[in-house]
Amino acid sequence: MQNILLLTLLLPTLGVPFVYLTGKKSAKAAAILVALIAIADITLLSTTVPIVLDAATEHKYVESYYWIPILGSSFTLFVDGISLSMAIITLILILTAALFSVNYMQEKKSLAEYYALLTLLSIGLVGVFITSNLMLFYFCWELMLVPTYFIIGGWGYKDPYRAAFKFFIFTHAGAVFVLLGIGAIFMVTGNLDMLDNQVLTALKAQPDLAKWILLSLTAGFAVKMAVVPVHMWLPDAHSEAPAPMSALLSGVIIGAGAYAIFRVSLGTVFPAVMATDFGNQFLHGLAVFGVISAFFGSLIALVENDIKRVIAYSSIAHMGYVLFGLSLFPFQEAMAGTALHLVNHAVSKGLFFLSAGAVMKQLGIRDIREMGGLAGQMRVTATSSITAALSIAGVPPFACFISEFLIFVGAFQAINSDGFYVLPTVLMLVATVLSLAYALRYIRHIFLGPTKLKKAEEVPFFMKLAMIILVVFVIVLGIWPTFFLNLITTVSFG
Amino acid sequence: MIQILDASLPIISFVLFSLLTIPVVKAIRKRKSKKTVLTLGWFSIVFSIAAVPVANLTIKYYEQPSPQPFLNITLASEPFTIFSSTFMIDAISIYMAIAFTTVGAVTFLYSIFYINLSEKPSERYYSVMLMTIGCIIGVAFSGDLLTLFIFWEAAAAGSSFLMLYHKTPKSLHATLKYLVMIIIASAFIVYGLSIVYGITGTLNFWAVRQALTVLEDKHLLVTAFIFIAAGYAIEAAVVPFHMWLPDAYTAAPASSSAFLSALIDQGSYYVLLRVLIYILTPPTVLDWVIMLAVFSALTMTVGNLLALAQNNVKRLIANVCIADVGYNLVAITSVTPLGIMGNLYFFLVGGMTTAVSFMAVGILNRMGFETLDDFSGIGRKMPFTSLALLLGAFSFAGVPPLAGFIAKYLVFTSAIEANLGWLAVIGVLTSIIQAAYLLRLINYMYAKTPQEETKIKEPKKLLVPIFILVAVIILLGVYPTIVLNLIEPVIQQLPFIP
Repeated sequence: MQNILLLTLLLPTLGVPFVYLTGKKSAKAAAILVALIAIADITLLSTTVPIVLDAATEHKYVESYYWIPILGSSFTLFVDGISLSMAIITLILILTAALFSVNYMQEKKSLAEYYALLTLLSIGLVGVFITSNLMLFYFCWELMLVPTYFIIGGWGYKDPYRAAFKFFIFTHAGAVFVLLGIGAIFMVTGNLDMLDNQVLTALKAQPDLAKWILLSLTAGFAVKMAVVPVHMWLPDAHSEAPAPMSALLSGVIIGAGAYAIFRVSLGTVFPAVMATDFGNQFLHGLAVFGVISAFFGSLIALVENDIKRVIAYSSIAHMGYVLFGLSLFPFQEAMAGTALHLVNHAVSKGLFFLSAGAVMKQLGIRDIREMGGLAGQMRVTATSSITAALSIAGVPPFACFISEFLIFVGAFQAINSDGFYVLPTVLMLVATVLSLAYALRYIRHIFLGPTKLKKAEEVPFFMKLAMIILVVFVIVLGIWPTFFLNLITTVSFG
Repeated sequence: MIQILDASLPIISFVLFSLLTIPVVKAIRKRKSKKTVLTLGWFSIVFSIAAVPVANLTIKYYEQPSPQPFLNITLASEPFTIFSSTFMIDAISIYMAIAFTTVGAVTFLYSIFYINLSEKPSERYYSVMLMTIGCIIGVAFSGDLLTLFIFWEAAAAGSSFLMLYHKTPKSLHATLKYLVMIIIASAFIVYGLSIVYGITGTLNFWAVRQALTVLEDKHLLVTAFIFIAAGYAIEAAVVPFHMWLPDAYTAAPASSSAFLSALIDQGSYYVLLRVLIYILTPPTVLDWVIMLAVFSALTMTVGNLLALAQNNVKRLIANVCIADVGYNLVAITSVTPLGIMGNLYFFLVGGMTTAVSFMAVGILNRMGFETLDDFSGIGRKMPFTSLALLLGAFSFAGVPPLAGFIAKYLVFTSAIEANLGWLAVIGVLTSIIQAAYLLRLINYMYAKTPQEETKIKEPKKLLVPIFILVAVIILLGVYPTIVLNLIEPVIQQLPFIP
């Protein structure tokens, strides 16, 4: 097959009207259709796994189509180890989000639109990871925005459109700076392919401009990643969104921000200023912001009482880890660890939000102080919440442990060559303790202790199914990370 | 070889049909049945016949082995050449003619349904609209400053009638404001032109250009430039000369606002582009880049801030038009091939987007919804109209995959290319403001609950032209190569490339 990746994008694109029409008749059928599309996409993508693992193809699989030659853009789709892992994990989350919605969204209105928007969202999300053309990348980057805005606004809690508005404006403001950076890259190189060496050569010839491009792009991506000074949209958007959307937001959308810094800022532009003073300062800056985010997120998560806001702040903390990991560029272990952490965080956080949604749905309250002793009443939900919380806290044998461990291995290597990293590494280790603290607090308040509410029942079938799928992933990825690690380590850095 | 007839036939056909329309529509009105079908039939004949000369010209122009950049066609031969009206056909004018004809046809379709056929002077409305299309194509084809001036003023006169059509006190007031501004502007332009004629002894674009590049004493030229630039800036509604535009577009019937923003507005940017870059004073002759950059920053900022403070939706869209002038000026200021490409793309896309928004707002205004509060919950009551307005708003804000995105991308990139990074940053920041107020509009449409939940029947006929434009906007966003290929020859014959 020659058009695997094109089909991967076309399938949900063509699927949108079908999902909408099915949804008009039966919401459940629409959800299952979305899940089927995701499964088909996963199958399509997994056919490229052998190609990516094969050294003869330079661990890459590329498809290119005619698009806008005047603007140096062709419709280039590509996967390498990291983008393939991210795309697959994204689709798994979409699959579980759709299944979870069957019961979770049951009582809501206009579900046909909801599932159509979810399908639309999956195009943007997958597209971001599987393209190497910056223009197409930006297309998909913004395509995530509109469906998310309407899903949060249309089916969220409290004053959802306010949260959605905040989300849209913040991330769109970030995106226009990305656009500025992309425009400057086009101007300097006349080419927008991030894998093309010609881009790097041209950028190297203009190091002054490359600095600005790097800063503009990274600042734009950092907004989506919700790094601390520009994180304000995240707590509102994540906590007001319906649980499946929160899972996607926290699992993949902010992960896409990290992936973009990884791929575009560090992968494409950074080598032009690497080994200069500015380059080192830039990496140190990333580390500092990473530490700040990790502490800020963990500390607030420790005192927050709203069930979803705890998890939302823990997302900020985890993006801190990822940013810290990125600042260790180009150490192989750290980079592999960071990429793996994106994957692991996606499943763990997805599970965390889904299980929190399950609790909220069954109890109808959000304050964790009012809950308690649910472990006996909602066994599946409790198991999945505890799995997710422990994974987020970095406890073995759950998924996030292994990737955090790899990041720290990288950090110690970095300390060898750059004394600056001593303090951030120590602080990050302290932050890990904090994350264990909020995770345990969360478990204790909701699931342990005396039972305060009598009526809690276990969730219906589809919600259970979605959570169980993710529990399996969290545990399997913790014990046997080899599959994704093999994929990720095919990519060479620096 | 392109003859004089080939060049003038598009203009002549529109003007001729404009005259024929009056008796034809009157005759149709007298009939008892099938009025709409007959009117539609007549105008589809008009547009398909008028499209033939445009197509003919395009084919003839591009069938030459290497299209000549400046093809001069003079009406009189020596020794009167310098006085004679001239047409100049180059790739830009052909592109503009195609854009004007196609977008004009769609906005016209909307007008047929919007301006009721049984209203008394509606035949005049249609006729003036056709004449204005003819004149604006004449603007694109003109080859000397005088011809440009005449066609442009004729188009302006036509537009004032289109604004005035409903004769409400508000529209009378707005049109008066517009006319006063236009008259001042033309006085400025005529004065400037006379100085140019004094310096160079000619008004022909090509001759003026050549004379100016070797000009040594530039004092008079500066005066002429200030007058001409100010004149055309008034007509293009560059801040601080923008006051007439929101009034005029708000008071005019929606079909007129759509038509004016899609054709006349874009025409006025075209004139600025033509006069500033092509003929009068390329930056090699007179250094105006910084001055215009400041005006463009001012226009973007003021236009967007005004729109932010707006409560009336139609006025809000009118203020977006002002902001669009600013974005176009950024591209003109950059004087780069990329910028010109951005300009030409923006002409088409910006025009269509404003047209879509005005058309959708027109439908809603008819139902009595005017302010943001009235728009509460429109999304549920009138799903299709709101969808069109929503997509228009996202296209303004530069959200892919809608066409506005590529236009903004080109504009900002060209500013960076011209070393005007600060202008690009201002552009980006103002476009965040733009996203904010457009999103506020969307918030009203979809988030707020309406006063009454009843569904309103949407006028299907009016939605047809709107969705034609929406489809084109999406298509051009996903696959802009269609239009960029048309623009490419323009870039190859730019005069300032050494």
